[in-house]
Amino acid sequence: MKHVNCLLAVLFVVLSATAPALAHRVNLFAYAGGGTIFTESYFPDGRPVEGGNVLVYDSTDKLLLEGVTDTEGFFNFEIPKIDALKIVIDATMGHKNSFTLKKGEVEAGK
Amino acid sequence: MHSRTIAVSSIMAAFLILAIVHPALAHFGAVIPSDDIVTQDDDKTLNVQVKFIHPMEGQYMEMVKPKQFGVQHNGKKTNLLDTLAPAKGKSPDQDQSFTFWTTDYQIRRPGDYTFYVEPAPYWEPAEDLFIVHYTKVCVNAFGMEEGWDQHVGLEMEVIPFTRPYGLWTGNLFTGQVLLKGKPVPFAEVEIEYLNETPGNINIVLPPADPYVTQVVKADVNGVFSYAMPKAGWWGFSALNEADWTLTHDGQEKGVEIGAVYWVWTRDMK
Repeated sequence: MKHVNCLLAVLFVVLSATAPALAHRVNLFAYAGGGTIFTESYFPDGRPVEGGNVLVYDSTDKLLLEGVTDTEGFFNFEIPKIDALKIVIDATMGHKNSFTLKKGEVEAGK
Repeated sequence: MHSRTIAVSSIMAAFLILAIVHPALAHFGAVIPSDDIVTQDDDKTLNVQVKFIHPMEGQYMEMVKPKQFGVQHNGKKTNLLDTLAPAKGKSPDQDQSFTFWTTDYQIRRPGDYTFYVEPAPYWEPAEDLFIVHYTKVCVNAFGMEEGWDQHVGLEMEVIPFTRPYGLWTGNLFTGQVLLKGKPVPFAEVEIEYLNETPGNINIVLPPADPYVTQVVKADVNGVFSYAMPKAGWWGFSALNEADWTLTHDGQEKGVEIGAVYWVWTRDMK
């Protein structure tokens, strides 16, 4: 029983340490320019999402590429396809959000 | 007794007529954007209207081109004065139209956008003074809730203590009144509902003058609060007398400076 309590306490501490991220939604914003798609991922208070997985899908939901956000929450990549692109940020503990760039916006950023 | 009743009735009738002809009209600078929260599914082009009005009664006043109009985003100010175009507006009971100003602004990045206006001084003969209302409104974009509490650095401004978007009807709005960056103790704040709020189907008809303009006083730190009872745009106008004067017809005249802040509320449903 004592061990279980200890374990619960440890678990609580571990969970608490990551709590700020858990308490907030994550967001991703993207825009295209000069042949590149720029993305930034952030919490509502402006803090960057570091080390979040970014997944890029085309309009048929086919995964085109993926990457990881840097310390500023940025992940940039060359335009992979002139299509509507759904860009997903997948942070820890299943905190996910997505941003869709319309085909016209991608094309305008060639 | 009978004649006295008539006399009282006459006085009351006269009072009513006077009350109708001369309601206590509060002037408000207004900066009204077409959206308060821009998401990826929204139109990213905001229309922003700059006016000088009586918000509850709906009357417009003639507004010359402002001295200053811009937007603050990420701590950086962008001058938008040259993008303003004149337009005409009036309330249903006004028989002529008056100038206001409008612009379209493209939201390109996440974060808070605070639009601010410094109007040209407005000469108000009825009050024998000039009026200058420094006016602000904040629009949030793409979920980054950063910037709304930053100072713009106007001579007089309201700093929101309540995040000024995503507000439900009935929420308390709290702000601080600053003059040259310092709190104004016991500042008087006038509050009005914008009856021409888009989508407002129930026009508010105030049953008596005090209902037109709500009045609260700030505390010693210049902090005030008001709970907004209806969905739509609400204007908060803190007033003060300037320590400078302007000349009208060769005479020195006082200047009423105001700090106005606009917020949008939505019914919880």
